[in-house]
Amino acid sequence: MRLHQLNPVVESVVAGIIGLAIGAAIMLAYGYDPVSAYSSLFRGSFGSVYSWAESLANATPLILTALTFAVAMRGGLFNIGAEGQLYIGALAAVSVSLIQLPYPLHVVVALLAAMLAGMIWSLPVALLKLGRGVHEVISTIMFNWIAHFFAFYLIANVLTDPIRGEKTISIVETSRLARMVPHTSLNYGLIIALVAVAVVLFLLWRTTSGFELRVSGHNPEAARYAGISRRKQVMTAFVIGGATAGLAGAVQVMGRPPTYAVMSGLPQFVNLGFDGIGVAMIGRNHPIGIVFAAIFFGGLLVGGRIMQFSPGVPLELVRVIEGVIILALAVPELRTVVVRLWTKTRGRKQIDGT
Amino acid sequence: MKLFRIKVAAILIAILGLVAVPLSGVALAASKVALVLDVGGRGDLSFNDMGFKGADEAVQKLGVELVEIQSNSAADYLPNLQNAARSGDFDIIIAVGFLLADSMAEVADQFPDQKFGIIDVTWLGKPNLMEIGYEENKGSALVGALGAMTAAHYGYDKIGVVLGIEIPVLYKFEAGYRYGMHWGNAKYAEVTGKNPGVGLLWNYTGTFSDIAKGKAATDAMLAQGAGMIYNVAGPLGIGDLEAITEHLEAQGKSAGPPFMIGVDANQDYLGDGHRVLASMMKRVDFGVYSAIESVVNGSFKAGVKILGPGNGGIAISRRQDLADFIDFGIKGGVITEADRGPITANWDAMRAGIPSWIWDAVDELEAKISSGEAEIPCGWCPDTIGDIRNQYPD
Repeated sequence: MRLHQLNPVVESVVAGIIGLAIGAAIMLAYGYDPVSAYSSLFRGSFGSVYSWAESLANATPLILTALTFAVAMRGGLFNIGAEGQLYIGALAAVSVSLIQLPYPLHVVVALLAAMLAGMIWSLPVALLKLGRGVHEVISTIMFNWIAHFFAFYLIANVLTDPIRGEKTISIVETSRLARMVPHTSLNYGLIIALVAVAVVLFLLWRTTSGFELRVSGHNPEAARYAGISRRKQVMTAFVIGGATAGLAGAVQVMGRPPTYAVMSGLPQFVNLGFDGIGVAMIGRNHPIGIVFAAIFFGGLLVGGRIMQFSPGVPLELVRVIEGVIILALAVPELRTVVVRLWTKTRGRKQIDGT
Repeated sequence: MKLFRIKVAAILIAILGLVAVPLSGVALAASKVALVLDVGGRGDLSFNDMGFKGADEAVQKLGVELVEIQSNSAADYLPNLQNAARSGDFDIIIAVGFLLADSMAEVADQFPDQKFGIIDVTWLGKPNLMEIGYEENKGSALVGALGAMTAAHYGYDKIGVVLGIEIPVLYKFEAGYRYGMHWGNAKYAEVTGKNPGVGLLWNYTGTFSDIAKGKAATDAMLAQGAGMIYNVAGPLGIGDLEAITEHLEAQGKSAGPPFMIGVDANQDYLGDGHRVLASMMKRVDFGVYSAIESVVNGSFKAGVKILGPGNGGIAISRRQDLADFIDFGIKGGVITEADRGPITANWDAMRAGIPSWIWDAVDELEAKISSGEAEIPCGWCPDTIGDIRNQYPD
């Protein structure tokens, strides 16, 4: 039996079980009871209305940042710039609170501003790739850091809360996303994320540009032969990705209670972009898959908090176990991606005659 | 087809979640305390570690059971407090740090029968919440006086303070330090007959995390002749001390002056025990411990509780505090047991180098603060810090 011939569903389940087993072994090694830990984990993530709500709240921004990665991946590009784009999106949403508008127009304007800001932030990456051949992995990492420090600057000097200098001004009431379930973090940002999923699904599978994007990803040589514009395809991937990442930042700051502000050190945003890569991998870079993967991933984070209560697994170890499970689940898609990349590189070399 | 497979996978994942539900079942314990920390988390050798130290002491002395909950992200504050309250297991839930204030305000309302405590927050006013604040201005006045007199004694005419982000909480430190410096100058003139005219160098670095900025600010102050650097920016103290160490190394020395003044925890054990003259100890451990104790002995009272020099919440570091915090440093992994002897000897030598009248003067100021004779600016002064700067100039 060859591993890559397995059905993807079976693959994911096997991978998940392997991940849980490794996690259990690690807990045993540190003297914690894996059965009670895992029961806490799953009870904490999906055991009640409250925990479902928290899991979905955590899933919301991850769906959006995973879309950023997945859209690019479908076009054969590695866009790991969601992290920076979401910071910029969040700050754009905050800056819209400086103007006065009625609800719900204020919400719409803030969301549009965040999407636009995300797109603008991803534009230089696309242009550098097209104009100078700069690889997007390098440029997105660089732009993530520029966004990081730019955000620090804006928090400390421009959008600062006059009373509490450790955060920006809070999003005004007219520009907040209401909670879906009282006393939980779940808010209407989830609906926005699901709409984004539908839009991306439509764009990629029901439009010519989307078709061209996917063809380029599958076989760049065939795409070139068929006259598909490389420029248009790269721009499409980065613009859509920038928009969803910007939205991720916006829903996180506009919907997530109770502070509704960007805090110094970006503590409610850090890693959402990178976690989105994991979510996209687990969801096989498909919008529908991403929704479920994000809920699973979000649930893991929520349940991890409960593992700290009983059986008292420290947060550091919780993170290790979460990481192991996620890594195991991402391995199947990672393998596909690596194989594709390798054959692509080899194919290009053959064409170049090197 | 692929879409279908993904759906199946997702459904399986969801089922896995549902199946796990009946596996639940928590053991209820008797006297339990939850300590919720902010994203700074453990290992800061300062604020958060001090909070844990207090809770740990309650475990040792009062026999309570402790669950420590760290926060992965600011998005965790609210659910971490909610989860603790929802479990109904805890006699008191204590949030360490003002970053948790907004979440605490909501959770205290949501769970009116649960007792809560919060450190460094004094403005929420909930019937089930004990709010513990500190008189950092008074402690800062003490180290300001000590700093000015010691600097003058060693022939320096400047003392410095490296602050974090310019927020009203830090104005308390700045205002107190200014007052203390002027008091120390006057005292030095009174005792020695010479007017030292020690002046102030101050810098809001705009960060509580960028250690390099602490070093840069300290370098600049040392170049202008500062004999004392007060760290009011948490981890930036590491940078402050590095600058002082390099400054001394350039002269082939290891011991100060110039010295640093530590903050929050007793940081005297850093710098080989002879580069941190004293620390303005803000006993977060004491606050956490007393909140837990109040629940254990049934004296819990909601409302604001102010800890200061009078009741052991704020203090200048003394000989009896050193061993305790050497333990703290060993636990934190920054020093080892082998360092205990040399650090203690160095510290003793450092303190012995300062005339005893200076220490007496610090005690005198402390007594005046306690009796109310010395009024230290300021409790909360975002509006009046400008006036205070004029009244107690650089």
